[in-house]
Amino acid sequence: MKHENEKKNLWICDKCHKELVSEKTKVRYLDGNFEVALLKCPECNLVFISEDLALGKMLEVEKGLEDK
Amino acid sequence: MDLDKLLAISNKCIHSEPPVCVASCPVHMDVIAFMSEIEKGDFKKAYKLMENKIPFARLIGKICDHPCENVCVRKDVGGSINISELEKVVIDLGYIRSKKSFSIPKKKGNVAVIGGGLSGMVTAIDLDKKGYQVTIFEKSNRIGGRIWDYEGEILDKSIIEEELQSIEKKGITINYNTEVFQNDLQEYMDKFDAVYLGTGYWKKNYEIDPNTFQANDLPLFIGGKIHNKSDSIIFSVSSARRAAISIDRYISKSSMGASREREGIYETLLDYKVDDIVSVEPVQKETEAYSEEEAVKEAKRCLKCQCIECIKACSHMQKFDITPDAYIRRINHNERIILGTHYANKMINACTECGLCKEQCPVGIGMQDIIHETRESMVQRGKMPLSTHDFALKDMAFSNSEHFSLVRKQPSKEQSKELFYYPVIAFSQYARGLYKGSGKTGYLFYPGCQLSATHSEYIGDIYKHLVGTIKENDADKDVGLYLGCCGAPADWAGRQDFMQENADKIKRVWEEMDKPTLILACSSCASTFEKYLPMIETVSLWQIFDKYGLPEVDIKKGKRVLNIHDACATRHNPKIHESVRNIVKTLGYKIEELAYTKDKAKCCGYGGLVSYANKAQAEVFVKDRINESNEDMLVYCAMCKDSLVRGNKRTYHILDIIYGKEMNDASLQKIPTLSEKNKNRTKLKMKLLKEIWGEEQDMDLMKHYNFKLNIPDDVMNIMEERYILVSDIEKVIDNARRNNERFFNPDTYNYLARLKFENVTYWVRYEEKENEIYVNSVYSHRMEVVEE
Repeated sequence: MKHENEKKNLWICDKCHKELVSEKTKVRYLDGNFEVALLKCPECNLVFISEDLALGKMLEVEKGLEDK
Repeated sequence: MDLDKLLAISNKCIHSEPPVCVASCPVHMDVIAFMSEIEKGDFKKAYKLMENKIPFARLIGKICDHPCENVCVRKDVGGSINISELEKVVIDLGYIRSKKSFSIPKKKGNVAVIGGGLSGMVTAIDLDKKGYQVTIFEKSNRIGGRIWDYEGEILDKSIIEEELQSIEKKGITINYNTEVFQNDLQEYMDKFDAVYLGTGYWKKNYEIDPNTFQANDLPLFIGGKIHNKSDSIIFSVSSARRAAISIDRYISKSSMGASREREGIYETLLDYKVDDIVSVEPVQKETEAYSEEEAVKEAKRCLKCQCIECIKACSHMQKFDITPDAYIRRINHNERIILGTHYANKMINACTECGLCKEQCPVGIGMQDIIHETRESMVQRGKMPLSTHDFALKDMAFSNSEHFSLVRKQPSKEQSKELFYYPVIAFSQYARGLYKGSGKTGYLFYPGCQLSATHSEYIGDIYKHLVGTIKENDADKDVGLYLGCCGAPADWAGRQDFMQENADKIKRVWEEMDKPTLILACSSCASTFEKYLPMIETVSLWQIFDKYGLPEVDIKKGKRVLNIHDACATRHNPKIHESVRNIVKTLGYKIEELAYTKDKAKCCGYGGLVSYANKAQAEVFVKDRINESNEDMLVYCAMCKDSLVRGNKRTYHILDIIYGKEMNDASLQKIPTLSEKNKNRTKLKMKLLKEIWGEEQDMDLMKHYNFKLNIPDDVMNIMEERYILVSDIEKVIDNARRNNERFFNPDTYNYLARLKFENVTYWVRYEEKENEIYVNSVYSHRMEVVEE
């Protein structure tokens, strides 16, 4: 699940007015714990999940874990 | 769950039972596969199938006395399939010289075969193949016996010779001109490990075991004509084969009788029904033998008899291309694996638990209870995929929350006194009903969560009608109202915890109300009450209407013909079927029954929560049902209407015609969105409280925000697909605006905000113009992101 976020990201954090940076982030679901590079605000840590990521790879991993 | 018991059920499934032709064939030719290959025009493969079961297929196939044809199921619908003629043409068109097989060392023992006729030849080659040194003793100067009777017209001399030569080529010794007599037998039995007697006639009568062909416990086995006492070619072949099996077991000292139940002819459990089969006459031969084309045509007449009673009626088993026996084996595997992927989850959650398979099954196997138990087991073991039923369970929780749930006794006389004046009291049956209020709740109207969501406009009128009509007939019994969800979603999801909790709650309400009869308008409620609350007496709303009369509205007598789609949950409730039909006829409609109706009703695809768990599967159910119908549909379950209308079928709920709605009114064919359904429920509760009980709801059931949402239709459709509610979006945006937790795209001026509640994170991309919000996209995920 790395580098799945938008190639050229134009979003900025609305609160901190910062450009987003790619950083290792913890995600978890059921018995699965992963660390993946996700875009986030360097200041407030708000993590950005694109629609493609949520309905693509993320959903796939969710379904996989649910059937384990 | 008891998996061994489950597997025992799968063994009872007769899907794999052979057709009667195969069971009546002493060597069990695979007739279905044979016919299928001919149909495809593959005569070589068809020949291979003959060779698999019939020794010397090139000869026997032409002279077989075909007992199969006498029992062919086609017999009474056109005429038996000409199996023997087809075998002949397959030999002519599909014979291939078999590849020389490696001969295995003949180390297992020595067998003498006395008589080189038909049965002797068969025993000899079978034992040779098993690794025995075989010696044939033939009294004449040639082997083949009766086969030579067919020389000329049916069998070419050259072909007979070629086939017979193959015996010697295998290394079987043949002693010609050697007649064996009774007096010699003991010598042969001493010299050889076993003796096969296939001389067609023998002076001494031996006692022959009908299953093993062994004579008097001696190393002597007797088959062919002596045993069969008939001229049947194929029985002779079969007895020889079976004797060879016995000789092998005898010499290798293994059990003579084990696992031999279905050797020879037997009774199949398959009872193939021909009620719906169109009669087709046998294909006549233009010449002496079938041509290729004629053969293909004749093979097509074969019914390929196999029990598919459940599968032909079930869109689910069709979609997963599975038979009940295989299904159960997959469940068994799914239940047993500890590590690894549970591949059957998807299938198990795509069954509507409608129970039709059991109605169809000749041996009474039903998947409904099995699937149900499996889902419960999955939940208990923590193996039920979380997302599968999550939305449906949340929907149930909503219906049982203060947003919908409501219990009220009939308004008291004191409460209603302003109605008891002329002219109201004279013209309103409802007002008169209230006037007769006894304070004792005899009935409790329970419309259910789905009808209240999709047809909420009728609920108040129905309640008033019930008060009026019931009090007129039974003055002692007041009619109360109970809004909520019966728990069917929890039951379908295998959530016994939620189900029991819900049933207990309903039971408490019922007891507090002094145990009234519940009037149910939903078929799923009816089956849930029957299953979990058997102590509660229930009656369907349709029975009440049928018994006490319909509401007096300006009925537009219909002249249309309607197909009634019965709710699968009412399968075993003929009283409901009858009441519904009576109502429909009273209103002037003609009914055309569907092929699958009443106890054989097909599910609309909602059952078992399939429309949540597997949309594609639910759509197949809808399509299948719609294809069966030529007229507009009439249903009496809100979810059936929902499903069928989504499949673009013009469908009416029985209330639509009871309340005399204009049949062409397009709004009747519009199904509210998930968000609208919730809103309808809450609005209904507030409306009933206000209109009937004069209560203002002080709680803020409809949350109001300081912004206005604009959701275009395409986004709304996506939300429906993704099970995202307007209220979810409102929470996300409210949080984003309050706490400024959102991203901003300076190129598009779009905001993107997220909020996690319960187990789902929702994302909304939107534009904002002051307090107007324009939603562009919504999505969600369950994976939790740790923001730190």
